[in-house]
Amino acid sequence: MDIGLLSFIIFLPLVIAFILMVLPFGMKMTRNIAFVTTIVVFLLSLSIFFRFRLADYMQFREFHPWITTYGIYYSLGVDGFSMIILMLTTTLIPLGYLFLWKTKKSKGYWISMLMIQAGVTGALLSLDLILFYFFWESMLLPVFMIIGIYGTGNRIFSTLKITIYTIMGSLFMFVSILYLGVQFYNEFGVWSFQLSDLVQITTMSRTQETLLFFGFMAAFAIKIPIFPFHTWLMQTYSNSPTGGVFILSSIMAKLGIYGIVRFVLPLFPHQYVEFAPYFVGLGIFGLIYFGIAALMQQNIKRMFAYSSASHLAFITAGIFSLNAYGMTGAAFLIVAHAMATGGLFLLTGTIEYDLGIRSISGLGGIAKKAPLLTVAFALMLLSIVGLPGTNGFVSEFLIVLGLFKYNHFAGIISATTVLVAASFMFWMFQRAILVRTDNDVSKMKDLDIKEVVGIFGLALVIIAMGLYPHWFLYKIEPTIQHYLIDILKVGVGS
Amino acid sequence: MEVSFMSYILLAIILFSMGIMGVISRKNIFIIYMSLELMLNSINLILVTLSKHFGNMDGQIIAMMVIAIAAAEAAVFLSLIVSLYRLKHSINIDDYNTLKQKGTL
Amino acid sequence: MSSYFLAWIVLIPLISAAFLGILYLYSITVKKISDKVFATIAITAPILSFMLGVGFFLGLKNGASEYIYEPYIWLGVNDYIINMGFLGDKLSIFMVLFITFIGSLIHIYAAGYMKGDDGYGKFFSYFNLFVASMLLLVLANSPIIMFIGWESVGLCSYLLIGFYFTDPLNVVAGNKAFIANRVGDLGFLIGLVYLFFYVGKLGFDYSALEQYIDIVPNHILVIIGSALFVGAMGKSAQIPLYVWLPDAMAGPTPVSALIHAATMVTAGVYMVARFHFLYDLIPNVGLFIAYIGAFSALFAAVIAMKQSDIKKILAYSTISQLGYMFIAVGLGAYSTGLFHVFTHAFFKALLFMGAGAIIIALHHEQNIFKMGGLRKRLPLIYIVMLVANLAISGIPPFAGFFSKDEILLKAYKHHEYLIYGIGLFTAALTAYYMFRLFFVTFEGKNYTEKKLEPLSWSMKAPLVVLAFGAAFSGFVGLPKVFSNTNLIDTWLGNWSGVSIHAEHYEEIIFMGVSVIAGLIGIAVAYVKFFKYDFSQELKEGGIVYNKFYIDELIDFLIVRRVRSLSTFISVVIDDGVIDKTVMSLSNGFINLGRRVGRMQSANTRMYAFFMLIGLSSFSLYLIFKLGQ
Repeated sequence: MDIGLLSFIIFLPLVIAFILMVLPFGMKMTRNIAFVTTIVVFLLSLSIFFRFRLADYMQFREFHPWITTYGIYYSLGVDGFSMIILMLTTTLIPLGYLFLWKTKKSKGYWISMLMIQAGVTGALLSLDLILFYFFWESMLLPVFMIIGIYGTGNRIFSTLKITIYTIMGSLFMFVSILYLGVQFYNEFGVWSFQLSDLVQITTMSRTQETLLFFGFMAAFAIKIPIFPFHTWLMQTYSNSPTGGVFILSSIMAKLGIYGIVRFVLPLFPHQYVEFAPYFVGLGIFGLIYFGIAALMQQNIKRMFAYSSASHLAFITAGIFSLNAYGMTGAAFLIVAHAMATGGLFLLTGTIEYDLGIRSISGLGGIAKKAPLLTVAFALMLLSIVGLPGTNGFVSEFLIVLGLFKYNHFAGIISATTVLVAASFMFWMFQRAILVRTDNDVSKMKDLDIKEVVGIFGLALVIIAMGLYPHWFLYKIEPTIQHYLIDILKVGVGS
Repeated sequence: MEVSFMSYILLAIILFSMGIMGVISRKNIFIIYMSLELMLNSINLILVTLSKHFGNMDGQIIAMMVIAIAAAEAAVFLSLIVSLYRLKHSINIDDYNTLKQKGTL
Repeated sequence: MSSYFLAWIVLIPLISAAFLGILYLYSITVKKISDKVFATIAITAPILSFMLGVGFFLGLKNGASEYIYEPYIWLGVNDYIINMGFLGDKLSIFMVLFITFIGSLIHIYAAGYMKGDDGYGKFFSYFNLFVASMLLLVLANSPIIMFIGWESVGLCSYLLIGFYFTDPLNVVAGNKAFIANRVGDLGFLIGLVYLFFYVGKLGFDYSALEQYIDIVPNHILVIIGSALFVGAMGKSAQIPLYVWLPDAMAGPTPVSALIHAATMVTAGVYMVARFHFLYDLIPNVGLFIAYIGAFSALFAAVIAMKQSDIKKILAYSTISQLGYMFIAVGLGAYSTGLFHVFTHAFFKALLFMGAGAIIIALHHEQNIFKMGGLRKRLPLIYIVMLVANLAISGIPPFAGFFSKDEILLKAYKHHEYLIYGIGLFTAALTAYYMFRLFFVTFEGKNYTEKKLEPLSWSMKAPLVVLAFGAAFSGFVGLPKVFSNTNLIDTWLGNWSGVSIHAEHYEEIIFMGVSVIAGLIGIAVAYVKFFKYDFSQELKEGGIVYNKFYIDELIDFLIVRRVRSLSTFISVVIDDGVIDKTVMSLSNGFINLGRRVGRMQSANTRMYAFFMLIGLSSFSLYLIFKLGQ
């Protein structure tokens, strides 16, 4: 059996994780091997990025029988949309490792991180719904462990909450997947769970389709999270260890969005268009709701949780805007937000590691002690608030434009994002980082060389993407047009 | 007088019911055990009756097997009761409630 | 001159800023680098840009109509393409020239002003970044690229206001500036989105916009024009978004001079002039802009009369002067507005730098009532401040006279007599509060006996240069009565299409009236403050002194409401309602489990009984099922 590039990307971390589990290495050795593994995966995905053809179909396909009796195949592929998220994942994770380097966690921490990576990339690349479900759920196990074992505060409760909450959503999706499989069998007489096959089902009534649509949406809405399924997020973020919250915020949340675009959009195009107004509304509502809620948060991680929720709501509104601007902008914001928020969580992790404090009022005057950290923090912050010159602006502009095209009023309301994010972010920056207070921050150390490389590498990409967005965007354009013209049949909106 | 087929079945049902009532209502573990044996034997009776009725030896063979297994089971059961008695110093079945969760639930 | 160099006008200060920033971080973390290195690099950048600007100026003068340089596609989404483009036409090169000229002078001044500061390198890194952003703003060939510069100057303003960030007041002022600007940017963004939506397909650079603006329906144009002007309100500190500018004086004085007086705050005026093709079509919005400008001018001047902090007075005076500029551009007299931008840049930068010199000399004293008698002790500053004061008060032949007079003339000729009246009255007020500042500071009894801090040459030299500018820069826009060629009008062109004709005698009458208004103001100030007695108690209080309690009102009406809403959302709705619902669902399962668990009583006979019931019912079911 030949193994393709995508399989390598998925299973290399997993295999290494299992080997590390068995071998009696210490924490440091485990960490180093894990880091090298992520670098290798990054290089592999880089080769995919450069060999990616400017087209709308699935590339780098892999297709092997798995459970043939029920038509379940091991089927992988990548298109423009999943490619940028793949690149994002494989780039961010090694950078994150540079920051987690000094955490004195045991070997299991690093093994869990590798397993998360395998689950995430697997879910990202699978084109068979059962395979997707398999990876989708398998992400949860390492997350469960990483929060439950290495978290802080009320960590057991948090980890149970996120696990049960997400599984509850996923079950609806699982039932929907099985239902679709049965429908396909009834119509064509063979079993298949291939996405490309399931989209051909024609025998379902509108009601059935709508129910299944919401079955899928339940899983993704909880993962993203869309209002009002967000309450797990705040607790989980504030109790997670840095690595966990980094992965959760910058990558796993984006998989919810990815799931909607990859599966819901082609499977239920009618419902996608029909319910778009509600999701645009929910997105814009969430954008403002979470943004305002973030203002008065005391715990810095909890504040970022609200801030993330606000941006994710914005992305959700973008993908439901049914035109090329909104969707391209959403894809871009997925990347932009993952970078910025991931960087912010890593930096807060450093602060927490040095000082052991997570409340905004307990910090202050860090800027004098750690100028490099402050600069990096400011750069990430600027991307979050969407300052022109960073990638945050490009994406916000495109989404606002897309929403405006969808509905003038929606566009104007969503433009307030420039105001909402700026107010809470800058206020936090002032209180936690800049202004000197009576709090003792003498234990604060500045970034070391590894962290500088990691975070400023990220910052450079953020600025490059802000100054020359076209170079990053043109590869996903055919995919987006394919979604809009061939699947949704709404046109690109020009 | 020819005893009818149904009479055997009825006898077996009566014996079985007595066994069940014994299992449910008595506290002495030996009596419960005897009731269980009674139920087993009522089933044997049905097997033998049906075997004769259908002119087929299968039922009789199974009945013999049940008797043999019941004998083996009796040995295990009695030894279990002995060790339970050593633990609890009682043959009252209500004292054997180790599985019940203590405290509030 | 190849248009390729347009990009370098922006890139030189940008690269210099990045380099200085890295050098500064290196300097504080690894090895100290001397201040001279920072200053040399920092000053070189705007001078180089200025030289490039001069090159383009000469090119345009020799007949080139415009330079366009578009290096790459910035963004392209299904046929809509926005180029990263630079446009060097007469307007933008005019802006480049005075930005880089005054910018270079203020850089030199700052090299002396910031001497010995811990953040010397950081300051110049931000300063160069500001120059680069400002140049990008004026050189951009499309509104989106302009918006990059537009927001970046806001960022630099934030960074420089909160330069001494350990003090909460500075950072709060910075935040206030940034948020107020963001309110404006929100409007600007909405305007851009509307514009892009209606004409984006046909190209999104200025020439395409100008060509196709007619296809936009008129009511949409009104929305676009107003929304863009909201952006200008924020950036140029007009009513109601002016509140940040006085607080922005928390930054070092060179910052106030460059950003909050000469360049950034005039970006709004530039924007309106740049979009003249749009505003020409919607004169009603233009009138609205003019009225906002007039009221801002008056309002700020009234507040300035009662302030005692030297920089705050100048800040309010800036708002007031910006109001004049908006009167001009609102009425379609774009070149007149830009003329005032030009002269104002000289005299206001001079005022700020003079004030900065006084502040440094007096060991960071900013209250004018604690100065006094500085005429003999700082003679050079006295002279340059006198020039600047005369210029802003509109006394001929100094710069402010020509530009302000022309604005008033235009207002009158447009039959906007209310605006004219307000403008004239404000001119008198301006003269009054500026000379109040002047007399209190330089005349009267010597209040402070402290030894003055000596001023370095790098602070003095730019003052002298600017003083010449403040004195003579007005001559580029002489009224018709003196000269037939108004250089500003010929250079920039009179875009409005409505050419205003004024007879010579009219011009002379208007000049006379303006001068009289200015002199009245000076006279009142002289009477009240020339022999100001410092022993008498200062009256601080009253509604004007407290700036009409606008800050408090905003704090009460908006800031506190939003904060309590935030607490309400996160505590009451999220934790109290949504999370409680979710948790009660899971608690419901736990309770159900508890109930079912109680049946497991460990009573064997009970179990047997349940078995009996279960088996019996199952048997009955089978019997009836099979019996059918």
